[in-house]
Amino acid sequence: MYMIFEKALAQMLEQPYLLIVLTSLSIGLTAGFVMHRSDFCVTACFRDVFLFRDFFLMRQMLLLVVVSMVLFEVGRLTGAITIYPFPLLGPPSLGNAIGGFIFGIGMVLAGGCVCGSLFKFGAGSTSSLLAVVGMLIGSAVYAEIHPQWSAFAKSAVLIKGAITLPQWLGLPPSALLLPLAASGGFWLYREFRAGRMLRPAFAVGHLAPWRAALILALLGFTSYVLIGMPMGITTAYSKLGAVIEAVFAPEHVKSLAYFSLRPLNYTPPFSALSITGGPGSQLDAIAAIQYALLIGIVAGALFSSVRLGEWRLQWRLPHRQFISALTGGLLLGLAARMAPSCNIWHLWGGVPILAMQSLLFLAGLLPGTWIGALLLSRFVIR
Amino acid sequence: MTQMINLDIRGQICPSCLLLTLRELNQNGAAIRTGHTEVVVLTDDRQSTTTIPVTAERMGYRTEVVRIDLGYRIRIFGGI
Repeated sequence: MYMIFEKALAQMLEQPYLLIVLTSLSIGLTAGFVMHRSDFCVTACFRDVFLFRDFFLMRQMLLLVVVSMVLFEVGRLTGAITIYPFPLLGPPSLGNAIGGFIFGIGMVLAGGCVCGSLFKFGAGSTSSLLAVVGMLIGSAVYAEIHPQWSAFAKSAVLIKGAITLPQWLGLPPSALLLPLAASGGFWLYREFRAGRMLRPAFAVGHLAPWRAALILALLGFTSYVLIGMPMGITTAYSKLGAVIEAVFAPEHVKSLAYFSLRPLNYTPPFSALSITGGPGSQLDAIAAIQYALLIGIVAGALFSSVRLGEWRLQWRLPHRQFISALTGGLLLGLAARMAPSCNIWHLWGGVPILAMQSLLFLAGLLPGTWIGALLLSRFVIR
Repeated sequence: MTQMINLDIRGQICPSCLLLTLRELNQNGAAIRTGHTEVVVLTDDRQSTTTIPVTAERMGYRTEVVRIDLGYRIRIFGGI
């Protein structure tokens, strides 16, 4: 067993894996640190709109999307981005919106999304650890229903043969992206001028969210240029779920079709070799990309909170919140596979290139967040 | 003699801090405005050191944020 692991690890550290692992790890470390210092929580961006009518964080999210839109398009036009649209995207399906809807409920109940829970866990939050455990369970549960869900998602494809909105409309990407980015940029400029992109902060070592948005957009761009796709993390949860489930029921895991899929099959930038990856427990391209990112985010937030002297495991939690975090995590894990993927992948990666799957995910995420906020304020926080 | 309402929200999931603080502000608004009552929040949620003061000050209260061991203490007190 150890020999197999050692061999797989050695293979991962060969090209093109070395560049992928180092890039993902560096991006994760930086993102974890930045998100902790700025409290850049995607869940809060959406939830606070419904719960408090507070649009402050949503403006920062828009800044991230607009800057990513410009960076990705400039990257495409200059040839820095070679794979367009990026791998793992498909035609839009009603399944994307349903996945987004469940994801919205889950992220509010969990107190953070797939990525937010990781950085909060790194900073010592046990409720976020519970959410992560819930996500692992949810991912494993999805494997049981994959054949049925996959058949539904395929039958509910809305537009065949097109991945992005410009592709569907038969337009060059710039024709839609540049006017959109310019309009968004102009609006954000006015928000800056009006002082609505800043607010007082008292936390030690605080990083203004607008600066975090710029850094996170740059990290997404770096990931796209060097790895061939923006940040994504959720398949790693399936892989980990498969590893854990295999300890208790190895034959059952082997029998599940989902864990033998290899949806990622591409030739990364700066490489002549094509690589593959999937949700099963094997160390493959997905493992190289997402495990490194996952470890980086947790470690970056851990480093940040230890440096500030704020790290502490906090177990004292009302039992309703334990249940909420675990249930929310379970819904997140399930929805992240149904959608497929999470808000980071869709909002920071797909929406900036107007991927229709991502736009549908967003359309589902909004009402899901609203329902989640209702459930949270009525049944969880009392 | 000022009455203190202590809210220890350390470790709780987001956005417990702001929701529970808002509930106290809504229930004790008059007493806080006249200076008879203060709300003191203990939190380790960094974001609430921004959201609570901003929201409370928008409602007309005064606030003070102090760093304590492994967290923050937010004091919300008498109106303008």
